[in-house]
Amino acid sequence: MASGYILNRGALTLGIHCQRVCRNISVTQVREKKRWMRAYTYLMEKKLKLEGPPPPKPRSQLPNWDYHAEVQAFSNRLHENFSLELLKTAFINPCYLQAEQERRRGLGVDSEAAALVLKDNIQLSSTGAALTKSFLTDWCRASFPSLPSEGVEGIVGHLTSLTVVAHVARNLGVEDLTMSAECPVPDDVIHHTFMAVIGALEKSSGVERTGYFLRDFLATQLIGKDLFDIWTVVNPMGLLVEELTKRNIALPEPRLIRAAGASTVLPLYFVGLYSDKKLLAQGPGETLVAAEEEAARVALRKIYGYTENRRPSDFSPPQQHQQPLITSVSSN
Amino acid sequence: MTSRGTPSRFLQSVLQNGVGRYVCQLKRISLIFSKKAQSSLGVREFIEEGVVDYAKKNPSTVVYVSPQASRIPKIVAEYLNGSVREEIITNKTSPQVLELLTKLTNQSGLDIIRIRKPFHTDSPSIQGQWHPFTNRPPSIGPIRPQKQDNK
Repeated sequence: MASGYILNRGALTLGIHCQRVCRNISVTQVREKKRWMRAYTYLMEKKLKLEGPPPPKPRSQLPNWDYHAEVQAFSNRLHENFSLELLKTAFINPCYLQAEQERRRGLGVDSEAAALVLKDNIQLSSTGAALTKSFLTDWCRASFPSLPSEGVEGIVGHLTSLTVVAHVARNLGVEDLTMSAECPVPDDVIHHTFMAVIGALEKSSGVERTGYFLRDFLATQLIGKDLFDIWTVVNPMGLLVEELTKRNIALPEPRLIRAAGASTVLPLYFVGLYSDKKLLAQGPGETLVAAEEEAARVALRKIYGYTENRRPSDFSPPQQHQQPLITSVSSN
Repeated sequence: MTSRGTPSRFLQSVLQNGVGRYVCQLKRISLIFSKKAQSSLGVREFIEEGVVDYAKKNPSTVVYVSPQASRIPKIVAEYLNGSVREEIITNKTSPQVLELLTKLTNQSGLDIIRIRKPFHTDSPSIQGQWHPFTNRPPSIGPIRPQKQDNK
């Protein structure tokens, strides 16, 4: 009520100002203390507190936006030669088409007079997703030759999961260009769009370039990740026994190597796995069972060649793109 | 405030940038200036001389030039990770504007706070971190000083 009263007063004074302005036209501004300002800002703050901040707007509805230039810059940024038509198609999601058609119907536009002539990205997305899966599987097989197929599946599943792909796509600026029905673009839509971008790349520059693209942007997400964070193994000891029998190595024999503070709240046990009287691996844990499991995981990591101190994967650029200028300088 | 009280982060890059290929992190830049004001004289000069060269040199950045009736000219830079930086360029000359633009182009868009060390690694030790049991013969029980050989 009080604010309404103040507003009324504000309107009154405003009216007086207007009259003054009307009487002598040369004066367009009244110089005095703006007593209405405090009430006004107070009211606006209260409104903000009650209603919350306004919903986010898509970047395309804010000033300074040229869609064609943005798409071209996107293609240049990734150092790829996209065909722009395909790339623009890749950004159009079916949900956007539906929402747009409904909006037009709501506005009373004839569907024949202003038909929506846009193709959606379903086909591109499916080809992109299939290609991603097959390429990443091949890449994992080549990088970790001793990893079993379940492990490869786990890694590929992690790399093509919703969160990882959405994270990559958001940091490559796909979100701004994506045409989606909802404004903060949901993860599944952005995943779909990124797969469509990969499909468009495959159609415009071929499978090999797409492979390098996937290696540079998706496979690099594996850096610093642990194998068993990606691939959940419930019973590592069972898997280790299986692996050792496959390789004709004697079965592991867990032994307690070290223990400290067994009667305290922070006990520590080290379990070593011996096979043929040789130490395979050792792992720490708070209980004997946990330590044995950890030791089995360490042994599996060693067998699969996925230890922390392994040789880093090769992410160097393809050989054909070396510029002749650089080679001539290095030969001199 | 002492340096311990200020916000800090480790040295990092967006999306392991540069491991595979380098992606310029600046996606969009808008030069906002006035057509008449004295304070945007240098920006107008830059727009006549250098902005086309800049745009040609950086095809991965979209450059918008928007004249507005404002006394304070500014550069609004948007980065791939979603951060937006505004730089005020009142009374800056054309070379100064170019210098600022180059700086913004080379930045990653991560917030500019104190970096704890000029280097960073996710795996600090190749051999594994030291703990009281490293290089000790296997034994169960409390840790005792190692036996001297000469005794």
